[in-house]
Amino acid sequence: MRISKGALLVVIAVLIPFVVEFRTALSWFGIELSVLESLVLGGAAILAVVLWAVWPPNGNAEAELSGSR
Amino acid sequence: MEVTRMSSTASRTYLDQFPAEAKVIKAAFWSSFMALAIGGLLGLVQALHRTDVLRFIDSADYYTVLTAHGILLAITFTIFFLVGIFTWAVTTSLDRGVVDIRFTWAWYIMMVVGTILVGVSILGGVVDAIPMYADVLFTFYAPLQAHPAFYVGLVLFVVGSWLAGADWFRTWWAWRKENPDERIPLPTFMALTTTLFWYLCTLGVALSILVFLLPWSLGIVDSVNPLLTRTLFWYFGHAVVYFWLMPAYMMWYIMLPKLSGGKLFSDPLARVVFVLFLLLSTPVGIHHQYLDPGIAEGYKFIAMTNTMFLLLPSLLTAFTVVASMEHGARQRGGTGYLGWLKALPWRDPVFTGMALAGLMFAAAGFSGMINAGMNINYLVHNSWWVVGHFHLTVGTAVALTFMAAAYWFIPQVTGKELWSRQLALGQVLVWFVGMTFMSNAMHRAGLFGMPRRTAEPQYQGFNFDPAVGTVGEINAQVALGAVLLTVALAMFLLNMVLTSFNDDSDSLPANTYAGTLSGPEDSPAVLDNLKLWTAIAVVLVIVGYTLPLASIVESGGLFGPDIGGFQLAIETDPALVLESVREVMP
Repeated sequence: MRISKGALLVVIAVLIPFVVEFRTALSWFGIELSVLESLVLGGAAILAVVLWAVWPPNGNAEAELSGSR
Repeated sequence: MEVTRMSSTASRTYLDQFPAEAKVIKAAFWSSFMALAIGGLLGLVQALHRTDVLRFIDSADYYTVLTAHGILLAITFTIFFLVGIFTWAVTTSLDRGVVDIRFTWAWYIMMVVGTILVGVSILGGVVDAIPMYADVLFTFYAPLQAHPAFYVGLVLFVVGSWLAGADWFRTWWAWRKENPDERIPLPTFMALTTTLFWYLCTLGVALSILVFLLPWSLGIVDSVNPLLTRTLFWYFGHAVVYFWLMPAYMMWYIMLPKLSGGKLFSDPLARVVFVLFLLLSTPVGIHHQYLDPGIAEGYKFIAMTNTMFLLLPSLLTAFTVVASMEHGARQRGGTGYLGWLKALPWRDPVFTGMALAGLMFAAAGFSGMINAGMNINYLVHNSWWVVGHFHLTVGTAVALTFMAAAYWFIPQVTGKELWSRQLALGQVLVWFVGMTFMSNAMHRAGLFGMPRRTAEPQYQGFNFDPAVGTVGEINAQVALGAVLLTVALAMFLLNMVLTSFNDDSDSLPANTYAGTLSGPEDSPAVLDNLKLWTAIAVVLVIVGYTLPLASIVESGGLFGPDIGGFQLAIETDPALVLESVREVMP
């Protein structure tokens, strides 16, 4: 992992205010998201962060996995 | 010059070093937690009632619940925790016990008796068997009137806190005799400067209670001047915000750097910050009264200017604490412009809770600047925005720091290991997320004019116009946040209770606090001249308040133009309600 599990949890928690405020900020540009769209966007952002965190830093997942066996 | 400061008995816990003081601190912490439990639960009741999600109280009783929520959390929870932390700070940093532990127990018991009187008075609003009432909200100024027991309880509580301050000063004076050439250790310096502005600001509320509100409640005087009691309350009411915040600041200055693995960036900067709070905390209260008629705009402008100066110590703190955390992270192998953040101990609930509380406080600073600006304050005054703001300050910067600190302090004063670090980490994260939802929605609701302090915010024949989303979404977000906060509160209390039943542990960390990269020897000795700073603080108060108070007394009289007062919970006269309705709908 690129960051510790504790740090990953903190990043996800800190992401939430950004997702909530992002909806408000987008409205300034005439883009109004529904609650469901905001939830999907937030879920996607969290998924992206989790994938980034668990992906090996060199990007070679198979080598990393086989090496760890 | 690098200086490491820690107790000479560094391998032992606080309980080992000061067993008698540890008992008082433990009692103060548990008093604080009980207030947090009751007050927090009442917060959920309010949030669900206001948002119309779940209603099981009468709307008229909302004010009893609101008063209990405000008093128990903003006064009782915070100040009991504060006296515990400051007693720890003074004894640990001076490496000596209090002068007389019986005196320490005396002020603690006085505060408990005061709390019970206040609590029972408020409870009288919903329990018919208790012949008391105190639906006066946290601000308790006229024309709302409470039972005399409420005011007596407040006086006992505040006098108890004054005696606690005297206890810390006595302990310092005793230490100074033994160490005449030493600088005041930083934690003691922080406790003493905070105590000094507490003495200064509580004089206003003491005057308000003893001269006006208590005699009025007892029937000794017939009326009071509401604007005068409001002004005297806010003379105290803004400084009390810093009274809550200073123990949190202390934790950020002397615990966060240590938990990060490093040292405090600058002891002198920390001293400057606390001196600035001593000087500026009190003469700014009129910024809570921008919409009060009867106070000239010029005085309000002066208060606004003073308030803006208060940003300086907060920004200095942000710089010093973040620099200290970066130093700690780099000591742990962190590199890069932002990469060092990854090296911080995010699995430690004490660190993470305090760091997230500090982050939330930054957001609170921005909304606070809007509150402080005279013109833009008119937009948000008395709206839900303000409630969102202070749930970021006292509800997160203070409360989350205190809860995170408790995960370190309770083991120190009980000798028992924390029951679950994982639960504790989850708790601080759930609190952060819950407050994000709740305070964000409150701020947004305030922007479209939704009022605070009402059980029925949705008027008939009128629709609010949110900039984004709907009122229903705002309410749902508040209710979701309140539920998450209550879950976090339950997680915290469960951990504290189970920790108390844990076995004694020999593997607890020693009772230490952060060393400094730049120590007190790098700062001018004048910073420790408490008499000088107190004298300047008094002068600033005289400059800020003499003319407004004189003007209020001159125009409204010392005891007011025959203001009889209101007792909200006693009865509701339908004729009065009809009369009010006719006034707005002829």
